[in-house]
Amino acid sequence: MNSNKSNKFTLISILLVIIAFILFLLSTFLDQYLFQYTMISKVITFTGLILLIISWAIYFMGLKQIKPQTTENVITVIACKNCDYREERPFMEGDYVFKEIGKCKKCSGTSYIYAIYLVPVKK
Amino acid sequence: MMINQLFPSGNDISSILMNLIWLFLFFSILLFFNQKIQIWVYQRNAEKATMKLQFLAEKGKEEALKSIKNFAPENIDIKSQVTSFLDFFTIEPVDKDPFGVLNRLEHILDNRRDRIKLFISQIAPKAGKVEAANVEDIMEAAIALNFIFKIVRHYLLLGKKTKSLMIFIQLDMQLPLIMKIAEAYFKALKTFSSGKPIGDGLGPLVASRLMFGYPKQVIAEDIVCSEVNIENRKVYVIKAEGPGGVVGKPGEAVKRLVELHGGKIARIFMIDAASKLEGETTGEVVEGVGAAIGDPGPEKYKIEEVATKYKIPLDAIICKMDIEEALTTMKKEIAEAADLIVNKIKKAIIERTKEGDIVIVAGIGNTIGIGQ
Repeated sequence: MNSNKSNKFTLISILLVIIAFILFLLSTFLDQYLFQYTMISKVITFTGLILLIISWAIYFMGLKQIKPQTTENVITVIACKNCDYREERPFMEGDYVFKEIGKCKKCSGTSYIYAIYLVPVKK
Repeated sequence: MMINQLFPSGNDISSILMNLIWLFLFFSILLFFNQKIQIWVYQRNAEKATMKLQFLAEKGKEEALKSIKNFAPENIDIKSQVTSFLDFFTIEPVDKDPFGVLNRLEHILDNRRDRIKLFISQIAPKAGKVEAANVEDIMEAAIALNFIFKIVRHYLLLGKKTKSLMIFIQLDMQLPLIMKIAEAYFKALKTFSSGKPIGDGLGPLVASRLMFGYPKQVIAEDIVCSEVNIENRKVYVIKAEGPGGVVGKPGEAVKRLVELHGGKIARIFMIDAASKLEGETTGEVVEGVGAAIGDPGPEKYKIEEVATKYKIPLDAIICKMDIEEALTTMKKEIAEAADLIVNKIKKAIIERTKEGDIVIVAGIGNTIGIGQ
């Protein structure tokens, strides 16, 4: 249900860890070879640590995200007993397959519900 | 300079020593806390799943209460009654002596169904036959969700109590499938409360298409039958009586029809929804032989027994779908497969039987949202 959302949080968390790791490498590089940037190196290290903490926080946020998706696009297909008339409309409470629902718009024969089915929701 | 002192990078002895301390600490953590870390990771997954299952079980209860509320008298406290009924259980018959186990199982399943029906008639007396059947399905789904949640919580707490890595590993490995089943039941609740056809209704849908326009009569518990003429063959089409959410006793119906004709039935065709394997397409129609029915045993046994007794060939036509698709609103692919199966059955009847033969076509499944 919300596994996609959970996966998204995990991916963001992993991405932040990778960025933090790159920052740590950069900081080490600055410390080793460019001594004039010691202050910047410290800032980078600190930023890396912050990113690590954020990545953990995001990873655990997955725990809180529990919301069911309930949107459905259900179609009721109406047909006629006498002619080839077909009509589609959204499902309404009380609909069931083979329920007679009045006169056909085309030939005044008896129209009934031929099928009820779920179609994918367009995003 | 604190960080530089903690993680020194020079070649002097203090830096090497500091790095060695870190290395030692790192390996010590891995060596001594290895299992604890693993337990922590598995426990976290199990806790996450339990939280989600609790949420689903609570929502399931709310959904059951919402649907019962419409048909309940005002002076009844439905909340406490539904809450206590969610723990309703069924004890399977003893199978150490397997003789007659299916008769005993059928008796217990009948008891269970009667108890649920009685509960619904008491708590929702205003519900008609169709609504009562749908509420029954909702209660079954809510009971299943509650049961799954309690079982997973039990193993989580047991694992915590015993600090057993094995319990957590086993639980964690089964969680993806458990969650899939729980989510399918949760989605089914919404479908049941609105009375929409579900994927499992494919069999009844095919039977309805075949018996459409013919007179119907009840021949077994919640089962209707029509006598249909297909190319001069007498075809008895049976299905659960819709549009309420029932499955009926199709095995009993087939047995009665066969006995009624003294076993002179040319063929029995069974249509049912079947769980697909990963990689297979939803709505794929496949033919085979055998009793295509997914009941706990008694109904399948009756069909197999009577078919064997009179040497009647059993043909099965199944439509592939996964558990979620079987329990939730029927997908377009499945509805389209019903038309395909109708044509397949007509063709098979003509090819495999002679004029004047008697044939049985049984549409197996939950007929919620499908009339006749």
